[in-house]
Amino acid sequence: MRLPAFLRLTYRNIRVNMDLGTMIFMLGLPALYLLVMGTMLQNIIPGVDVSSARISYTHFLGPGIVAMQTLTAGNIGGGMLWSDRRWGMFEQLLVGPFKRTDYLLGIIMVAIIFAVAGSMIMLGLSVLISGGFVFNMLSVSLTMLSLILGTMLFSSLFLIISTVAKTMQTYNTITIALFFVLDFASSAFYPIPTTTDEVIRIISLSNPLTYIVDVTRTALIGVPDTTTYVYALAMLLLTVFLFVLARLLYRTVRSGV
Amino acid sequence: MIAHQENAIEVHNLTKTYDGRHKAVDNISFHVSKGEIYGLLGKNGAGKSTTIKMLTTLIRPTSGEISILGLDPSKHSLQIRRRIGVVQQSESFDFATVENNLKIYAMLWEVPRETAEARIEEVLELFELADLRKVRAFELSGGQKKKLQVARELIHDMDILFLDEPTVGMDPIMRRRILDSIRKRADSGLTVLFTTHFLDEADYLCDRIGIMSDGKIRAEGTSYDLKEKYGGMRTLDIVLRDPITEDLYSKLKEAILAGSLAEESRMERKQLKILGKNITRNLDQILSLLRSMGIAIDGINLRDATLDDVFIEVVNA
Repeated sequence: MRLPAFLRLTYRNIRVNMDLGTMIFMLGLPALYLLVMGTMLQNIIPGVDVSSARISYTHFLGPGIVAMQTLTAGNIGGGMLWSDRRWGMFEQLLVGPFKRTDYLLGIIMVAIIFAVAGSMIMLGLSVLISGGFVFNMLSVSLTMLSLILGTMLFSSLFLIISTVAKTMQTYNTITIALFFVLDFASSAFYPIPTTTDEVIRIISLSNPLTYIVDVTRTALIGVPDTTTYVYALAMLLLTVFLFVLARLLYRTVRSGV
Repeated sequence: MIAHQENAIEVHNLTKTYDGRHKAVDNISFHVSKGEIYGLLGKNGAGKSTTIKMLTTLIRPTSGEISILGLDPSKHSLQIRRRIGVVQQSESFDFATVENNLKIYAMLWEVPRETAEARIEEVLELFELADLRKVRAFELSGGQKKKLQVARELIHDMDILFLDEPTVGMDPIMRRRILDSIRKRADSGLTVLFTTHFLDEADYLCDRIGIMSDGKIRAEGTSYDLKEKYGGMRTLDIVLRDPITEDLYSKLKEAILAGSLAEESRMERKQLKILGKNITRNLDQILSLLRSMGIAIDGINLRDATLDDVFIEVVNA
């Protein structure tokens, strides 16, 4: 059976990127957030309000960590282009039996696979720590939509950085800074009440990770409301915009860095 | 452009301009017949790699026409890429072991599993990489990385192989082994376009050679033809039995130049050097002249022009 070119590239990306460092970055750190930070903060945070429900901190944090997998996987996806440019494989693959689109799809597919697999593991851990979530057609669909769109969004974002960064130092500095801001200025670890500092609140509410987290969280807790769907729509529009931009910039990428 | 059936590669008036000013490749035309090994030589920046990038569909020409296996790269790039192999000048490898690099590449090229396994073992042995199969590619030396690049490309089937300086960093034995392997494949019908800085390699391997300078092909032909045409003077080294007087040497030189037997001669103690384009043809007369003047000789050595001589003459011109 002939495997389509983008799936062969997806398989190659998985084999090349399934190293210990990537796995620790992808699963180890979020698991520590859940197991250590979640249970420690649970002692001093009595409960958190989400829509109409009041839940424990670990229950609150779980979906945040699940959604964060999209950011991590997106970063790994964007990093693949960077790495292939750096080590000459981008140009080598482009003289192989593939189209440029196959290469791009190969990256996004692997990011989605990593995000979904990582999310499932984090979800399993969350269930172990904080008890059950709501699993019905709506919650599963919204969660999957959120994870897939979120991964495409962040993959596109990091692909854009991979195409414009000229040196490894620039790429690393941008991604580390961005990772920090996106992770911590979002609703992944804590709610964003109206009492939050105005500047941080604006940044947090403009952060796409907040949309992904909130859609995932309200879906899994079983309290989706109008805001959930507005955020899902915003996520969709932002994903399309960033994907088109990434596609345009990607077409201009010629060779190594 | 109507591509000739017998030609695997045809290039007509090919030009590549960067930033609208710098002509990396300037109106070149050449062809490579099926099963032929064509060497593209030139200094750094002569335009060799840019030419290969255009032929392998990586970059678009500014103007001119290319036909690869009868196909136009601007319209059939994917079909062309399915039938070519490319060893690029810059290093490229996956962050995996040597063996996995080869396995992944075979999978990408859809080489059937059994065939891939046999070919991987073959190239690991051929390129002396068998002991390094579990070593990660980034830990290899420069020469070993290059070997991996070439080995990887020999795993899949192809009609044309583009080699952009494939033997950089390799020892002479390995270089010769790779060249022989390429020759064997060419004898089975593979077309090869080859660039190198090692002119002896081109001399050894290539059926025809094109010398590029400043984006243009300045000379083209077989190694023999180029040496004949551009090789400059051949050197006849003569070891004299006894030193001769300045007077006698002056008379000898005068006779050689007057008879147009050679263009130049030099003498250092018992070593006489006679330089000329037609030395081979005039060898008998030169030796007779020496005998007639009572000059005894212990040995002679006639050196051909090397491709280096050709290269320097063409590039400097």
